[in-house]
Amino acid sequence: MLDQFAAAKTPVHRLDPAAKTVATLAVILGTVLVGRERFLPLLPVVIALAAYHAVGRTPIVYTLRRLLVVSPFALAVVVLFPILEPGLAVWTFGLGGWTVEVTAEGLLRAGHLSAKFLLCAWATLLLLGTTRFQDVLQGLTRLRVPRAFVVQLAFLYRYLWILMDEVMRMRQARAARDGGLGPWRVRFRSRVGLVGVLFLRTYDRAERVYWAMAARGFDGTLHAPIQSHMRAKDWLFVAGAVAVGCAVVVWDKAIYG
Amino acid sequence: MAEPVLELVDIRYRYPTGPEALRGLTLSVASGERVGLVGPNGAGKSTLLLALAGFVPAEGHIRVAGHTLARGTAREVRRHLGLVFQDADDQLFMPRVIDDIAFGPVTMGLALDEVQVRVHEALHAVDLEGYETRAPYHLSVGEKRRAALATVLAMRPQILALDEPSANLDPRGRRRLIELLKGLRSTLVVVGHDLDLILEVCQRTVVIDAGRVVADGPSRKILHDRGLLECHGLELPLSVAAAGRPAYL
Repeated sequence: MLDQFAAAKTPVHRLDPAAKTVATLAVILGTVLVGRERFLPLLPVVIALAAYHAVGRTPIVYTLRRLLVVSPFALAVVVLFPILEPGLAVWTFGLGGWTVEVTAEGLLRAGHLSAKFLLCAWATLLLLGTTRFQDVLQGLTRLRVPRAFVVQLAFLYRYLWILMDEVMRMRQARAARDGGLGPWRVRFRSRVGLVGVLFLRTYDRAERVYWAMAARGFDGTLHAPIQSHMRAKDWLFVAGAVAVGCAVVVWDKAIYG
Repeated sequence: MAEPVLELVDIRYRYPTGPEALRGLTLSVASGERVGLVGPNGAGKSTLLLALAGFVPAEGHIRVAGHTLARGTAREVRRHLGLVFQDADDQLFMPRVIDDIAFGPVTMGLALDEVQVRVHEALHAVDLEGYETRAPYHLSVGEKRRAALATVLAMRPQILALDEPSANLDPRGRRRLIELLKGLRSTLVVVGHDLDLILEVCQRTVVIDAGRVVADGPSRKILHDRGLLECHGLELPLSVAAAGRPAYL
C-alpha cells in the first residue's frame, strides 16, 4: 500500500494534511528552480527531507523501493542526455556504423536532473508515507483543488486494487488453461482479449457504482464534512518549508547569479 | 391490511440489447411487511430493483412511499428507498467507511450534527462501531456487506431493498446478517436465492419467473410447495427439506 505507514503517530503525522501538501509543493518548487548543473543549492532540501524522514520514522526500505518503482520514468528522459549534449567527449563507442560520444557536460546534466527528480519523488513519498491518502484528498479539497480532480483521485485509489484483483484473476484463469504455451499469435490474441474484457467490466462497474451513488441522492456534487483545521504548528511547518524553498532559490541566485 | 408503501402495476421493461426482462409485473407491499422475491436466474428480480429506483426506464406505474416514479421524481423516490446492491464494492465507493455512511445523509442536506448521529446509529445497527476510519477495501466480505447496509440505514429509508444479501457470506456472517435483518423495523424487500434466509426473515414470498409474478403468499406456504418451487427453477429450502425427511434416514 502507498500509505501503509501513514497511521503511525509522530509529530509530522499529526500535522494538518493541507499544510503538508503546501509544504511539499514549496520544497518541490524550490528544487526545480535550481539552475542547470548546480548541486550545492540542493543541500537545504536534502537536509530538510532527511530531517522529516527521521522524525516521521518512515522506513528507509519503503522509500528506496518506491523510488525504484518511479525511477524508470526519469531514466527514460535522462538516459539520452549524455549522448545528445554537445561537449567534451569522455567515452566514444561505435554503434552499427555510428560513432556515439558520451560527453562530460551530458553526464553532469543527466546527474543533475536525476538528483532533482529523486528529491521531488522523495518529498512526495514522504508526504504519502506520513499522511493517509484520504487525508491528502481532504487537504487538496481544502486547498480548493477542483472537486472533479480530487474525486477522480479518490475513485482511482478506491478501485485500483479491485481492478488489479480482477486482472490477476483473469490472468490466473487464462494461465490455468493455456499454461503459457501455444503459438505467440494465440497468446497475443488472448492478451488483447483480456484488455477488452477488462474495459467492459470496468465500464459495467462504473455504471453500478454510479447507480449506488444516485440511489443515495448523488446529484453531481460531492459534499464531504470538513473536520480538521490549521493550527499554529501547521502554519509554522508551512513557513519552514517555504523558507527552505526560498533559501534554495536565493542561494542558487547568490552563488551563480 | 396496512397502507401499501410500494405499489407496482403492470411493469414492463425490455433491455436495449434484446431480452424482455419484465413483462407486466404487478405487486403491492404494505408498510412494515417483509417480502422475499425469489425466482430463477434471469427472472427479472434484479431488474425490478433497478426499475424501482428509476435506473432502468420501465413502463407501468411505480409508487414508492406515496411518490409516483416519473422523470422528475426519481430523486424523491430514492430518498425513501434504500437500495443495497449485490456487490458491496459497488456500494462502498468512498475512501473511508465513515465517509461512505455519511454520503447519503450529507447529500440529503442534513446538518453535520444530525449526520453524525445517523452515522453512529447506522454503525451501531450493523455492529461495526470502531470501523469509522477503516478503508472499505480492507474489510472482509461480511463486514463490507454490513457496511453497505449501514450506508443505506443512515438515510432511514421507509423501504429497504436488498439484492442477494447473503451471497458469498460464510455461515457466521450469514447468521449475523439474518439476526440483523430480523431486528430491523422498516419495510423489507429481499431478492435472492437463499430461500432459508427468506423463510426466516420474511413473512411473505413472491415467486417471479419470466418477468411476472407467478406465486404470492405466506413464506411458510410458498416455500413448502415443492412442486411450485421446482417448476420455477428453485428447490425446497434446506431447513424445510431436512425437516420433511422420513425418520429412518
